[in-house]
Amino acid sequence: MKAVEVEKLTFSYDQETNAVEDVTFSIEEGSYTTIIGHNGSGKSTVAKLITGLLEKKSGKVVIDGLELNEDNLYEIRKRVGIVFQNPDNQFIGSTVRDDIAFGLENRCIPQENMDDIINEFAEKVRMTKYLDKEPTRLSGGQKQRVAIAGILAMKPKILIFDEATSMLDPQGKDEIKKVIRNLHKDSTLTIISITHDIEEVIHADYVIALRKGHVAMSGTPQELFADTDQVRKIHLELPFALRMQEALAREGIHLGKEITMEGLVEELCRYDSKR
Amino acid sequence: MDNITLGRYIPLDSPVHRLDPRAKIGAMLLMLIAIFIPAGWIGYAIIFAVVTFMVFLSKLSFTYIWKSMKPMLFMLVFLLIINVLVVHTGTVWLELGPIKVYSDAVIQTLYIVVRLLLMIMITTCLTATTKPLDMTLGIEDLLQPFEKIGVPSHEIAMLISIALRFIPDLIDETGRIMKAQESRGVDLKEGKLNEKIMAILSLIVPLFVSAFQRAEDLANAMEARGYQPGVRRTRYKVLKLKGPDYLLLAGAVLVLACMIWLAYFK
Amino acid sequence: MPIRFEKVSHVYSDGTPFRYVALEDVDLEIREGAFTAVIGQTGSGKSTLVQHLNALLLPSSGTVYVMDRQIIAGTEPKKLKSLRKDVGLVFQFPEYQLFEETVLKDVAFGPKNFGASPEEANKLAREALRKTGLDETFEERSPLELSGGQKRRVAIAGILAMKPKVLVLDEPTAGLDPAGAKKMMELFASLHKEGTTVIMVTHDMEQVFRYCEEVIVMENGKPKIQTDIKTFFRDSSLCRELNILPPALIRMKDALREKGYTVSDDTVDIKTLAKEIARQVKSHG
Repeated sequence: MKAVEVEKLTFSYDQETNAVEDVTFSIEEGSYTTIIGHNGSGKSTVAKLITGLLEKKSGKVVIDGLELNEDNLYEIRKRVGIVFQNPDNQFIGSTVRDDIAFGLENRCIPQENMDDIINEFAEKVRMTKYLDKEPTRLSGGQKQRVAIAGILAMKPKILIFDEATSMLDPQGKDEIKKVIRNLHKDSTLTIISITHDIEEVIHADYVIALRKGHVAMSGTPQELFADTDQVRKIHLELPFALRMQEALAREGIHLGKEITMEGLVEELCRYDSKR
Repeated sequence: MDNITLGRYIPLDSPVHRLDPRAKIGAMLLMLIAIFIPAGWIGYAIIFAVVTFMVFLSKLSFTYIWKSMKPMLFMLVFLLIINVLVVHTGTVWLELGPIKVYSDAVIQTLYIVVRLLLMIMITTCLTATTKPLDMTLGIEDLLQPFEKIGVPSHEIAMLISIALRFIPDLIDETGRIMKAQESRGVDLKEGKLNEKIMAILSLIVPLFVSAFQRAEDLANAMEARGYQPGVRRTRYKVLKLKGPDYLLLAGAVLVLACMIWLAYFK
Repeated sequence: MPIRFEKVSHVYSDGTPFRYVALEDVDLEIREGAFTAVIGQTGSGKSTLVQHLNALLLPSSGTVYVMDRQIIAGTEPKKLKSLRKDVGLVFQFPEYQLFEETVLKDVAFGPKNFGASPEEANKLAREALRKTGLDETFEERSPLELSGGQKRRVAIAGILAMKPKVLVLDEPTAGLDPAGAKKMMELFASLHKEGTTVIMVTHDMEQVFRYCEEVIVMENGKPKIQTDIKTFFRDSSLCRELNILPPALIRMKDALREKGYTVSDDTVDIKTLAKEIARQVKSHG
């Protein structure tokens, strides 16, 4: 079953140039997919099209078997949650508790059930201690965790992270990446992460690379980065392990394509002991 | 920017903090009416005693209250000068060259000062002890009866609470932009008129741009989390009046009655 | 002349319930002409520290010596304007400072404030725009309709047009994509090469490793460590102690050492490292 199917999706902000053009891809249910590409490649636009925050010019978006149209917008949004880039601008409530409650109120969850749900999801992102804190007293990473809890509490099937770590400090980035990894491990949630973080990309199940509004490459991280020439051609960063392998190859040491550093070192040791 | 104390919520744990916002808003309105009843000095003494007791109960420091009143000092001096110039009744208390200071001028100014002082103390008692969101919940509930005549009480409350939520952020933003422009040689204090206009523009345009960006982000975040304006939603925070709330309201009614008695029936 | 902090403290909102000590008794010297990184966790006082350099913030106590000025508590330094011209400060997300109708006007805004004639200001603005890689087609466009990366470049050009002798950068590449960030860093590196003193607040260890010469680690409002890059990244021990993820190359060196390879402390680039490995692999064969 596909969680997301996008077919020939096209969108334009100004009616002249298409920000997204003829984009087709599908995302496996329960998978962890990253979408990469330069600023302006259309990544975030695609995220907003999938959640119906922007209206497509043409093409088709199917979420969890349901084709997105004007009438089922709110049904779709029950199934897809999205965490945005700016931690401040998506914190709606005046405390952590109120912010998680915001989505529940919209879904008309009975008031007497809310506290249990809030506690459950605050615990999931380890924010229980901060339930009564105001956003100004939280770090960026903590605010993003609250945003995640607020969305998880609405029990979506698909969770999109739209550069959710890009405005955070290293500690905040780690916190969020840890939450994402745990969600992927412990739940059936489909995770889509739009990111510049190459470390995150190499640990995902699939990668979709966008360039100038088109899908330039896609596949597993191994498959995608194996084609180093193409990756270079679309001006994407290569993982350190691959750059190291290229340098080693120039010195006459030819190793298999490993995208993680641990894998590379092991591969090197194997190669060395064989000689 | 961070010296603004007036109207700020002070997170403390006190009996006043725990009161229902509706009761607090109601009591505040009653007390404000009481202030404007001409009950004489005895009346003001009573109100002052009651309000001081409330400040004490709310654990707010009196230096804090004093600080929040400081910005008013200038206004009071100004008022005194005007009154001295305009009011010419009563006995002459002081002669400064051509200017005669009449007793009524001083007394009237004093009345205004006392009223203002009490007003600030009363409103501070409310704003410093009530979380902005609780305040909006209170306002929403109090406006509920007017829903029938087309007052969108829920939307108003949502609007206020979001505005309140973003005030600290916008203050921060203003400070940041000011510093950025000062780094580019903008002088907000001195300079010719056209330079001043440029300086203000260099502050306001970026603030607007960023406020619009925020608004757009926020709208997206709210929509993505299933918010539909005008559609029924449940409410997480339900307010319930308890014993102390009734006590507060009763107290405020008593003070008001007392003032009316002092002013008209004594 | 080096930049010096002498017993500098900075307290925000003193005398209110929100009092906060951001800098405490800071003693520090920053070499003229160096590319210095200021690192440390959020809230460690990095931004407060650098905002003293052009007297946007005045110390609560202590003295900052910048160029030939003294910045002390309470009074704005003399020749404040020329100080702000000489010490260019680029804030985090500087695109938020753009406000003029055209890119050229916006970049010329700084020089004009510092007394340049309109022609001079435009000339300086054009030069700065070229440096940041924006050609003349951008000059008459509105800065507000540009892409995020382009806006960032216009904002930085706005500071460069002032021809600062000291350039202070507060996380200049935050939010940019890797390609954009790299271009930006190369611009700063070239300015540094031309003699500008560059001080950069950052969280990105790869950038510190690649471009900087000196590093100051802030912790709880005090400089905890000040040293040159080579010493700082000799191995990953210092980074680990500070709870910082070391640059990939340093992690690689660590992993290789663990497996029994010998790697020189001086190796700072992939090519040399590959050569070192190759030498050892071949000697095994």
